[in-house]
Amino acid sequence: MMMTPEKATSKSPPDWPTLLGDNARTGGHAQVRFHSPEKAVWQYRTGSPVRSAPVFHDSVLYAASVNGVLHAINVATGTSKWKFEAAGQVHSTPSLFGNTVLLGCDDGKVYAVDGNSGKKLWEAGSQAEVWSSPVVRNEIVFFGSADGKVYAVDGKNGQPTWSQELGGRIYCTIYAEEHQLYVGCGDGKVYSIETDSGKILWSTATGNGIDSSPAVVDNLVLIGSEDFVFYALDASNGEVRWKYETGLGIASSPAVSGDFAVIGSKDGFLYAFEVQTGHLRWKTAVGEVVTASPVIGSGVVCIQAGGAFALDMGSGKIVWQAGLGGAIQSVPILAADSIYLASLSGEIYALR
Amino acid sequence: MDRRTFVKVGCIGSASVLVQGLDPMVRAEKVPPAAPPIDLHGIPDYKPSPLGMPGLFPGRVVEVRDRNAIVRNRVSQPIVRRLLEQAMKELTGESSARDAWAKFIEPTDVVGIKINPSGAPACCSSPEIIREIIASVRSLGVPARSIVMYDRYSYEIDIGSYQVLLPPQVQIVGIQDAFSGGGVGYEPTVYCDANFFGEWETRSYMASIVAHQVTKIINVPTMKDHSAAGVTGALKNLAYGTFNNVARSHRAPHSFTNPLVGLMCTVEPLRSKAVLHIMDGMRQVWHGGPLTQVQAFIEQPGILLVATDPVAMDTIELEAIEEKRRESGVSSLWQHDPSSLTADNRIFFHDASKNLFFRQPGHIAAAGKLGLGISDLKQIDHRLRPS
Repeated sequence: MMMTPEKATSKSPPDWPTLLGDNARTGGHAQVRFHSPEKAVWQYRTGSPVRSAPVFHDSVLYAASVNGVLHAINVATGTSKWKFEAAGQVHSTPSLFGNTVLLGCDDGKVYAVDGNSGKKLWEAGSQAEVWSSPVVRNEIVFFGSADGKVYAVDGKNGQPTWSQELGGRIYCTIYAEEHQLYVGCGDGKVYSIETDSGKILWSTATGNGIDSSPAVVDNLVLIGSEDFVFYALDASNGEVRWKYETGLGIASSPAVSGDFAVIGSKDGFLYAFEVQTGHLRWKTAVGEVVTASPVIGSGVVCIQAGGAFALDMGSGKIVWQAGLGGAIQSVPILAADSIYLASLSGEIYALR
Repeated sequence: MDRRTFVKVGCIGSASVLVQGLDPMVRAEKVPPAAPPIDLHGIPDYKPSPLGMPGLFPGRVVEVRDRNAIVRNRVSQPIVRRLLEQAMKELTGESSARDAWAKFIEPTDVVGIKINPSGAPACCSSPEIIREIIASVRSLGVPARSIVMYDRYSYEIDIGSYQVLLPPQVQIVGIQDAFSGGGVGYEPTVYCDANFFGEWETRSYMASIVAHQVTKIINVPTMKDHSAAGVTGALKNLAYGTFNNVARSHRAPHSFTNPLVGLMCTVEPLRSKAVLHIMDGMRQVWHGGPLTQVQAFIEQPGILLVATDPVAMDTIELEAIEEKRRESGVSSLWQHDPSSLTADNRIFFHDASKNLFFRQPGHIAAAGKLGLGISDLKQIDHRLRPS
């Protein structure tokens, strides 16, 4: 059966097939009971920095290290199931399409790898590095490339469907809805693109390039920009509904849960908002620089910055922190009774 | 895991402790009497370029400034464009910016842009300035693919989001990853060899990208104090960003950045390829450099310095930071009072009277003695041009 990485249903432990948990970027809300981890049950060394976030499916953790190796790790034992070696460095967060693992590579390709064997199934090309995470909707894989184009390819064989050139480099992971894609670009614009054709439906300029990846909730596109501002745009036409200025650029991506959205800024703070009004609920310092994305657990927000932090969702107070899991772009996985962390230093931890 | 890696692993993500070897946990037991012998090995028989340091205009430093160039920590692209054009014309005496750039760059060049991302996001080479440099170079007919923005550590480039902010096709290269071995990306026959503190690896190798790939280098340092070198400007940005294994030159409280910084800049082909220095003084760090994120020590004067002479440029920078420190009532960068030392990074980053090392701003004058430029303020043609 082909599974698309759309919102996970309740089962235990839940899958975590793409960046921030599912296509709604909920980051696993309500899928994990909260408690402070007591110990690291295993540690896996990739041998190279990990710049991206891991994903999780059927008791296997998939994590890519910068040296181009995709690691499939049995979470029961913390041991390698298989490794796949791409032709270049990897900064892309893997994503899952049924039993296929997709990941972008600095050689300009997206690789599809069999989740059981670790063998390559197909590859799709672009003209520059792919740091974004491939996203799947209706069996079509969408990804952005540093060559400035958005690509749509067939999820079964990687054959191109369409491509659309934007105005700058693309490192943002696309948000895919049924009829529209949303993507931020290095030219500072947020684009809405027609899913079937690649036609640009609207674009809205921000004040600088966009590294952040959007989330969409209640017809609002939520995204940060290097111009320091967190935007809520009308998903229908791109009009700015509200915005909030932080202290420095935003590379982090928002996680959402109902009317609650949270995002980090390079000023070192996490910011929590009411989605409809833009009202700031709280802001909390979690380090000197925050570039990674938060995730939302049951009553907590987790973030990797100088270490791993969990904050009370209601108040923003730090409820626990761990001095490991320092990361630039990795995101914790909250899976049942375990938390998985990938660190820039190349270690992957299972905390319980 | 060795001790240095352990320190990094424990602290990663906190820019204040992403310290490339500024490691106060290991302290020299005795005062080293003098710098050890330093053997330099450049590319043999490399023909020096007349554009090489100190370049076409020894002793000349153009300073342009506009307070509106940076407002609430945001750099204005249009104002930077105007400032850079004004400075380039003043430096070269040309009436058009294009002709000014053409004195240094040819269409067939592979142009390296050496940034300083250390200290990102609080203070690093502004992407707005890099974009203007790229546009200027491209206006001469250099293809985007022949432009390489680079620095040593890819994770620092990543924190600065440079990869997103530059035009497509421009190459962005982190010579090495923070936690990988230092050998990848370096030329094994071009190196500086010295044993400073009994370290097991006594060589620092030149980046292959400098040795072989680029034909010209545009150096874009920032305006910062430096806990070991006194300041980090054009010289140090070039030297310690080009060679690996450089943190070994300073072990608290002692630093051999003088004379190593200048000596490294004399090694060919680095010396010949570094044809232009554009110092980003949009922000000015007067304590806690190079990595501080503490805004209280970061001014926003909106300055741009342009020169071909890195020694003269760094001399002007040193004076500017000294002046700011005097205004703020803290000690000179030349001060070597043992009571000002601390081994605690947290104290250092928040107390401007404390430091990790005996700073060595004398590395600038030492570089002057090596022929890299002019360090005597009276001889420097400092052209201050208000916008």
